[in-house]
Amino acid sequence: MTEVSLREPTFLILTALAAGPQHGYGIMTDVAEISAGRVRMRAGTLYAALNRLATENLVEPDREEIVDARFRRYYRLTPQGAQRLEAEVARMRSNTAVAARRLGLLGGTA
Amino acid sequence: MNDHFRASDADRDRVAAVLRGHCAAGDLTPEELDARLTATLSARTLAELGRVLADLAAPGLALPPPGRGLPPAGRLERRYRRLMFLYPAWYRRVHEEEMLAVLMTAAPAGTDRAGVADAADLLWGAMRVRLQPQRRDGQPAWRDALAALSVILPVIMLVIFAKQEITRSLAYSPMGLHGSDFPLWPLRQIAAPAALAALVLLRLRVAAIMAAAVVFLFVLLTGESYLIYATANAGVLVPLGLEIVALAASPGPRRGRQVVTWKHGALAVTGALAASIVGYPAMLIVVAVAAAAMALASSLGRWLLVLLTIAAWPAIMFAAFGPFMGTASFLPYGPAVVSQVYLLPAVLLALFAVAALSESRRPALLSLAARRARS
Repeated sequence: MTEVSLREPTFLILTALAAGPQHGYGIMTDVAEISAGRVRMRAGTLYAALNRLATENLVEPDREEIVDARFRRYYRLTPQGAQRLEAEVARMRSNTAVAARRLGLLGGTA
Repeated sequence: MNDHFRASDADRDRVAAVLRGHCAAGDLTPEELDARLTATLSARTLAELGRVLADLAAPGLALPPPGRGLPPAGRLERRYRRLMFLYPAWYRRVHEEEMLAVLMTAAPAGTDRAGVADAADLLWGAMRVRLQPQRRDGQPAWRDALAALSVILPVIMLVIFAKQEITRSLAYSPMGLHGSDFPLWPLRQIAAPAALAALVLLRLRVAAIMAAAVVFLFVLLTGESYLIYATANAGVLVPLGLEIVALAASPGPRRGRQVVTWKHGALAVTGALAASIVGYPAMLIVVAVAAAAMALASSLGRWLLVLLTIAAWPAIMFAAFGPFMGTASFLPYGPAVVSQVYLLPAVLLALFAVAALSESRRPALLSLAARRARS
């Protein structure tokens, strides 16, 4: 069953959570790191995405903590979320492999 | 005593706010605050929450009522909390505290004002949350919208009919008020909508369907065969027909009364009254504002908006053509108009049914808030 490909912010959130459960701010900084500063999410966009991913059962809440008198909720990847990320990685890999090969054949203009 | 009642998230939030206030006032060290906040999170009953505050709260004060007991939060935090009101209440109940934590951590130190980028981002996020089709209680929104309509529609019809009869009586006042059957004939006009509204508010679904069907057939069969009456009767037949469909196809007025609070009902009735009283240009503004508010409130609001448009279609058409239904001499009539007045609502209802069926076939998407409510 072919699914719509993931948008970059969604992909990055799932990638951030693939390393282990994280809270909102941790996901934000991780996403900025993974994308080398290209994608900077703010709280509103991040939580709208997390809410949507939770609705689609790709992430779920892990635990809640109080740190520095502030409430923190950790999120983790569900098995379906991990599968979805894997499928997306496989798709991108095959696409990039073909593109790299073809560009290589043409003398490498990338 | 309320000691053994379960603590709600709202209770925990309030206790947490009071604890932070005590820390700000110097009664608690940061370590003690963390420990008590953790205890607050795991507290299950109001009694346990009371114990967290035991040596801090004034004697006899169980829990601070909402609105009071909030500590003087920093100005930045207060500004962010105001921005959070963009989100729906059910979303805020689950996510407000963690979002606030992220916002405060991410804000550059020493700033007092919420940045424009943050405000715009929160607005964007709120729009996306409001526009996502989420089932809050596991029920598809369109069924709840039909149930809500089955309760609201008779009440709106009653109000509009009553208003029309009153204005008509006052217009003919020399004869009407002193005529021998004054109390009777206006009441006869609104008896049917009043009975239907009463049945629906009493949650008597089958009785309401039967009553609506009786009135529907009465109007349909006793109307004269002139096209002019067919057009005028549409104002009654289309909403009635939709009401019967709503009563039959939805969970019924019982569910409708759960979904529609007195607040919503009062808003809908005043909106309908306002739209029928004010003159033509202002009416469009009132209707547009109400429609936008409903569309942005939730997916249930959007389905309900579509249903109300179908019910109001004849009124919309007559408003476009003539002053108001009833002044038959101003109405254009002919097969084309009659078919538009009946056919278009039927087509819209069919489209609604198609959309509802395709929405039902999607797997039940429960938002985080709904799942929490269930667990």
